[in-house]
Amino acid sequence: MSKPSDLVQGTLDLLLLKILALEPMNGYAISLRLKQVSGDVLQVSDGSLYPALHKLEQEGWITAEWKPTENNRRAKFYSLTRLGQGQLEKESANWSRLSSAISNVVKLKEA
Amino acid sequence: MRPKHWFYTFPLRMRSLFKRHQVERDLSDEFQFHLEQKSQQYMAGGLSAEEARRKARREFGGLEVSKENCRDARRVSHIQDLLQDLGFGLRMLRNSPAFALVAILTLALGIGANTAIFSVIHGVLLRPLPFPKQDQLMMLWEKNDDGTRSNTSWATFMDWNKLNHSFAGVAAVSFWSPTIVGAHDAETLNGFRVSSAFFDLMGVKLERGRNFLPLEDVRGNNFVAILSYGFWQQRFGGDVEIIGKPVQLGTRAYTVVGILPADFPSVLSFDPRKPAEIYTPLAYDATLPYACRNCHHLRAVARLKDTVSMAQADAEMKQISYALYHEYPTDYSAPGVILTPLEDYLVGDVRPVLWALLGSVGFVLLIACVNVANLLLAWGARRQREVALRAALGAGRTRMVRQFLTESLLLSLLGGGFGLFLAWGGVALLQRIHLANLPRLQDVHIDSWTFAFSFGVSLLTGLAFGLLPAFRASKLDLNETLKESGKSSAGKERYRLRGALVFADVALALLLLTGAGLMMKSFVRLLEVNPGFDPSHTLTLTLSLWGPKSADAPAIGFFEEVLQRVRTLPGVESAGIVSQLPLGGNMDRYGVHVEGKSLPNPEEDPSADRYSITPGYLRAMRIPLLRGREFDERDVVTSPQVALVNESMAREFWPGEDPVGKRFRMGDTKGPWKTVVGVVGDVLHKGLDAPHTIQVYLPNTQFTDSMVILAVRTSNDQALIAAAVRSEIVALDPQVPVSEVATMDEVISASVANQRFGALLFLLFGAIALVLTAVGIYGVISYGVAQRTHEIGIRLALGAARHEVLSLIVREAMKPALLGAALGLCAAFGLTRLLSRLLYNVKPTDPIVFVAVLLLLIGVALLASYIPARRATRVDPMIALRYE
Repeated sequence: MSKPSDLVQGTLDLLLLKILALEPMNGYAISLRLKQVSGDVLQVSDGSLYPALHKLEQEGWITAEWKPTENNRRAKFYSLTRLGQGQLEKESANWSRLSSAISNVVKLKEA
Repeated sequence: MRPKHWFYTFPLRMRSLFKRHQVERDLSDEFQFHLEQKSQQYMAGGLSAEEARRKARREFGGLEVSKENCRDARRVSHIQDLLQDLGFGLRMLRNSPAFALVAILTLALGIGANTAIFSVIHGVLLRPLPFPKQDQLMMLWEKNDDGTRSNTSWATFMDWNKLNHSFAGVAAVSFWSPTIVGAHDAETLNGFRVSSAFFDLMGVKLERGRNFLPLEDVRGNNFVAILSYGFWQQRFGGDVEIIGKPVQLGTRAYTVVGILPADFPSVLSFDPRKPAEIYTPLAYDATLPYACRNCHHLRAVARLKDTVSMAQADAEMKQISYALYHEYPTDYSAPGVILTPLEDYLVGDVRPVLWALLGSVGFVLLIACVNVANLLLAWGARRQREVALRAALGAGRTRMVRQFLTESLLLSLLGGGFGLFLAWGGVALLQRIHLANLPRLQDVHIDSWTFAFSFGVSLLTGLAFGLLPAFRASKLDLNETLKESGKSSAGKERYRLRGALVFADVALALLLLTGAGLMMKSFVRLLEVNPGFDPSHTLTLTLSLWGPKSADAPAIGFFEEVLQRVRTLPGVESAGIVSQLPLGGNMDRYGVHVEGKSLPNPEEDPSADRYSITPGYLRAMRIPLLRGREFDERDVVTSPQVALVNESMAREFWPGEDPVGKRFRMGDTKGPWKTVVGVVGDVLHKGLDAPHTIQVYLPNTQFTDSMVILAVRTSNDQALIAAAVRSEIVALDPQVPVSEVATMDEVISASVANQRFGALLFLLFGAIALVLTAVGIYGVISYGVAQRTHEIGIRLALGAARHEVLSLIVREAMKPALLGAALGLCAAFGLTRLLSRLLYNVKPTDPIVFVAVLLLLIGVALLASYIPARRATRVDPMIALRYE
């Protein structure tokens, strides 16, 4: 299981927030969804997923609730808060700026 | 911690803080769910349940590490960590109660002793006097021709007051010992006559009533009194109606006009145990015989103006004194005025000994730190498994160092807490048994300053002894730990560290014990000084006559009667009366103008201590008569004026001649000639460490005092005889107060109270240091020997004799000890000169003390290492070999 590459390391928060913006889900589901949506490129190691989630919760950007799943198992579901929404927007904007700047450099034609 | 998050995160943080178990369970459940989902996924993919579970588990990685990271992410603040550390630390200490107890006790002794001394220093030296702008308060003294301070006189004081521009006010003070007369008894009080400006000058706000008025500072209007708070409570029960009521002092009724506040310190009393009880206006005027310019019996207190510095005032007073000296050359022995800040006057004498004690007790704390550091090192070594485990679980080095430091601080704070208790007890004991005669001692309390000091010292101590062991313990060499054997490179380093600690212990202990030894020797030397009389079996009582009975003739008659009666009592060998008791604190001096040897300026003639005595006094005190005769019935008021002089006076004025028959005048240069009829031995008056002074004895029939001391030599129980004497006097006249009943031994003891205090405390701290060092060495050697049981077993099995192994261990133990002793000796050599002001007749480098202390310490170190070493060599080699 590879961690997301170093450059993307700091954007784990962004990814998690975005996924939770779509719908509330538990940790396992988040990791599945991330893998799914990114076409297996982005895979978070289980060991780093939960500490990241707990940090987001501590900052107040997501909130958690114990709910029964479809199979009637008890699981901790995270959802985005209003504050988290704001943070998501901010981080998205940062990411756009960063990625376009990198693209500009990479696209430079050899002289 | 952005503020707008608070309402989201605050409940979260509180939950993390207070509902830890719940939070932990949730975390486990969350991970558990994840693992189950993963397993199901793999099972759906074809793996068996077992394999699926294992794969899921493996992919997750370190569960505990993850949990720890989650906990880190949820960290509330350092408070939670701190609480966790504290809880853990407490549990660890509870698991090793012996270690914890020894450590806490050691720290309690060290921190407690420091706290006690600090609270005394704070109460006596550092706390400001309760006077506004107390730095402006000065004592003003005249100067003797030898440069020492001298009391001033009324005329001089008036001139000082009139001529100066530096002071907002100057007041004069004189001793006053009125007799308060009750219905059936009388009591002598300690009091002062003061200028009416005195209390205003000090800035005192009276508790009740008012200050003296200037018109009351005039003879005839001066029968008013201000009482001290304590006296008011004790004698009048704090009667709120006391203002305006009369109090009978001698033959006069004085009206009480004011009560002083409770915190007004007795700054003018010589003896801190006899605080002033009553004040009255000075009420002098120029017509009084004792208002003369050369009647030096007043003290002057002044307050600097806001705009004037002490140096400026000093310069101005110097000028004024020169002017006066110029104008009245025969009334001054030397020009010059000495200014002493009031605080210096009050506590200056005890500053050196108190600071020396703080230094001494600081070293005790250092030894305690070294010992506890040692204990922690050993404890840390035992906890290596735990450290390894925690490191494997992901705890960083910093975290572990923090944990160990928290434990150290826990120990030191607990020790400090107990120490505070010890300090409280110690200070209370000091105040109760009157061990020391320190000014302001009764006002010393364990207060917030003491708490702050104790807390601060505990923190610093905890860091001091805790840092090194914390770093060592958290350093991990996994291989070594898992090996479990005692011999490792880490082990050798620990061994060297322990040696270093023994070295430090011994060096510090030697330093301390040397100081203690010097102080003790000094005190013993002081006590060996011959006071000039025999203090054993001698009882003294102070009598003061008042009213018409205090006139010369009735007084002489009364004293004669008292002596007659007392001499008939069983158990009384001899009795006599004297006006001033040697070492008793009172003094009366007069210039002596010897016939043919007097200086042109009679003020420059030397002053002698004056004693008025009855026949029998010299015998009662066993003061030797060296030449001539004593006073007897021939010497009455009408007979020729006679005197006895002491040896020193004979030597000074009539060296090589017979003083008997020579003449001199006392005080007044126009007075009658006194003829010397005998020479007596010197007595020490001011203190056992004071130089010999010239002394004159007069018959009490020719120079009568109304307040005298009765000295009785007894052959048996002094308490019984004291009671008997008292009842004789009461029978004669119940209204003559008898006060200060004490044996001469007690008087001498009181006169050296502060030296004894210093010596005893130095000895106490030295003893503590010795015990701590012995225990420390014992611990180090025991531990080292336990580590080397295996090695010892091998040696013994290979044929080494027990005593060879024993001496090997002891020799290795003594190496750092001897080095430490050497360093301690050098340090002592350099540092003990700081004590030289406190030492009497002892050099700070006294070789006997140094050698004795060295031998003592080496002996103790030997013993402390011999005992565990011997125990080790007793071990059965087979057991030792199997010991891993």
